[in-house]
Amino acid sequence: MFLRQYVPMAIAFVMGVVFAVQYYVPHPASEELLTTVNDWLIVVSGFSMVLGLASLMGSHWAKVRRGGPGWGYSLVVFLGILGTLAVGIASKGKMFAGEELTLTALGWVYDNMLVPLQGTVFSLLAFFMASATFRTFRARNLEAGLLLTAAFLVMLGHVPLGEYIWDKVLGFLPPKADQVMGWIMNVPNMAAKRGILLGVGLGMIATSLKIIFGIERAYMGEGG
Amino acid sequence: MSPELLGAWVAAGLTLAIFSFLYKDNPFFKFGEHLYIGISVGYSITLLVFNFMIPKWWTPLFREGRMSLLVPTVLGLLIWTRFFPRFSWLSRWAFAFVVGFGAGIAIPRTISNFIFRQVESTAVPLVSRGQQGVSFGWGDFSNFLIAFGVLSVLTYFFFSVEHKGPIRPLARAGVLFLMVSFGASFGYTVMARVSLLFGRMYDLVEYSSRGYGYATLVLLGLMVAVFLAQALSKKREGG
Amino acid sequence: MRKLAEKILSMDRRAIYLLMASAALLPFLTGPLGLPSRVSPEVKAVYDRIESLPEGSPFLISMDFDPASKPELYPMAEALVRHAFRKNLRVIGMNLWVTGSGMAEKILSDVAEEYGKKYGRDYVYLGWAPGATNVILGLGQDIYKTYPRDYYGNETSGMPVLEGVRTLKDIPFMVDLAAGDPGIETWVVYGKAKSMAGGCTAVIAPGMYAFLNSGQLVGLIGGMRGAAEYEALLKEMGKATVGMDIQSTTHVLILGLILLSNFAFFATRRRR
Repeated sequence: MFLRQYVPMAIAFVMGVVFAVQYYVPHPASEELLTTVNDWLIVVSGFSMVLGLASLMGSHWAKVRRGGPGWGYSLVVFLGILGTLAVGIASKGKMFAGEELTLTALGWVYDNMLVPLQGTVFSLLAFFMASATFRTFRARNLEAGLLLTAAFLVMLGHVPLGEYIWDKVLGFLPPKADQVMGWIMNVPNMAAKRGILLGVGLGMIATSLKIIFGIERAYMGEGG
Repeated sequence: MSPELLGAWVAAGLTLAIFSFLYKDNPFFKFGEHLYIGISVGYSITLLVFNFMIPKWWTPLFREGRMSLLVPTVLGLLIWTRFFPRFSWLSRWAFAFVVGFGAGIAIPRTISNFIFRQVESTAVPLVSRGQQGVSFGWGDFSNFLIAFGVLSVLTYFFFSVEHKGPIRPLARAGVLFLMVSFGASFGYTVMARVSLLFGRMYDLVEYSSRGYGYATLVLLGLMVAVFLAQALSKKREGG
Repeated sequence: MRKLAEKILSMDRRAIYLLMASAALLPFLTGPLGLPSRVSPEVKAVYDRIESLPEGSPFLISMDFDPASKPELYPMAEALVRHAFRKNLRVIGMNLWVTGSGMAEKILSDVAEEYGKKYGRDYVYLGWAPGATNVILGLGQDIYKTYPRDYYGNETSGMPVLEGVRTLKDIPFMVDLAAGDPGIETWVVYGKAKSMAGGCTAVIAPGMYAFLNSGQLVGLIGGMRGAAEYEALLKEMGKATVGMDIQSTTHVLILGLILLSNFAFFATRRRR
């Protein structure tokens, strides 16, 4: 109990207090402490990345071993990992080689496989968003109407064709579409986002204090 | 076949495989999705080893003798005890070190950059003073709206007090500001999503040209043929 | 009328997908619409800040994005690096997102080749390192301890491009191009360059206006529109400018869908 719970809580407390106070101590020793510990933690981050990657590989490997539904796709994941690793090792982790900067095998995999795959997965959202907009965007009440109006004006002012349509239809009004959009972004939108930001900031401070004082122990995992 | 031409066919094929999800969930999409996970993990590991582990840990510690790196090495190894259930409690020490540091450095910097700076730029004069005296122009109105908006949004998110009496209209005003903000965010999100679509469309159109052997068109034709064959065979079985 | 409205509301989602795809393909078939974008003050501010830097000043660009954000941020990064090389600034490139390393390297090397810039003297690519917050903090303390070697394994101390640069405070201006977290907010909280601007995807741009208003960002380039505006300021037609046509057609389509669905909704509602 002492080693498993109280020692980690004490470590978190000491680290938290020392580095919260460090900010206000301009002495060179204080700066050196921050630099040293910070450099250590860059190395530690690398080790923790291995943890995340290994967990992902482990869950897919378990699927392949069990032979459960979709195990073939988990095998595809493994082939992807091993294939990219092999290519990466052969290319010594470099995308380009030589003075002419020719594309290496890793660079080829990155340009022709990773970029298209990741780009396309996220571009599906454009279609889903259009469909969801059509199905759910209704001016049912004042709040929804306000949301719709703001969205409409921002979208109109955001693209050249929208600005052109505004100029043709509402060109007699003094502000242009992009000016209306700019005002919406810089005033009401900014005010709301600032309110959210202040709330987030206060929340971050509260959570940090809870970690330092041992109230928040989620980082310890089960039994923490 | 040159690497560039092969690359175009592979890129077009993988793009169309993912886009096929728009028709319905199918093996082409599942294959592409899982391949994406595999390649991005493989790429991350490659960079972790060659950009970080070797030049910033292995070489300084074991070749150049920087003994100070032993401390983070021990912490890192403690994190790896997570793989061994009997010793996994040791990882708590390393996580406490990391999380405690993160919590400590976050507090003063968040106070300074999130709280103070934001409050400072909200608390601005609401009237202008010029040679002709005090005036209230469009800029001053915007400043007033910003100050009122921030206050009303904060009031809305303050759930420790019930939104009754004088609090209620202020909280309601906060909701209206939030609606405008969400509408603006939606407008920007549309642009973001369409940008991603443009990226892929641009490549697909490029790869449909003669120089790339009409890759997009051939692969699209093949995919459509497979789906048609599937639909026909399903109809025959059902009929 | 009501039947038509109900039919509209129950439109198959694949019909909408087809409409979107058609709107996206239309500019490729018709050619450029030729409609210019007006430049916003927040984008002009970034341009003016780079213009004001003396020749030979160090300029840090952190390309914190991955392939998913390539269409928005790649043209932005290219435009900024082009501008920096035109002004003969010393460009220091880095990134905090592991899968963005390849793109960051390509941007710097491609544009440097265009302008005949020499690696190590005119520009350097520090590469990626894990632990974004720690990396930024480390740059604020000592760049050479955080990046003892660059992406290619060369020692950073003694590099002509980094002469006179020890910490972030020695860099008069930096731009962070961000697709999320870690990104602009992380730099604002943990980094302390003399002045900073942000470029970001359109998704997170609305949230950055608070930092713009407080002066923590001197300017903001938001989304593909911002990138197109920057290209217009450089008097170049890059991919972002080309992309604005597809933005135009799809935005107008979505606006049309919103109006149509609301008309149909109110038409069915009235009868109930």
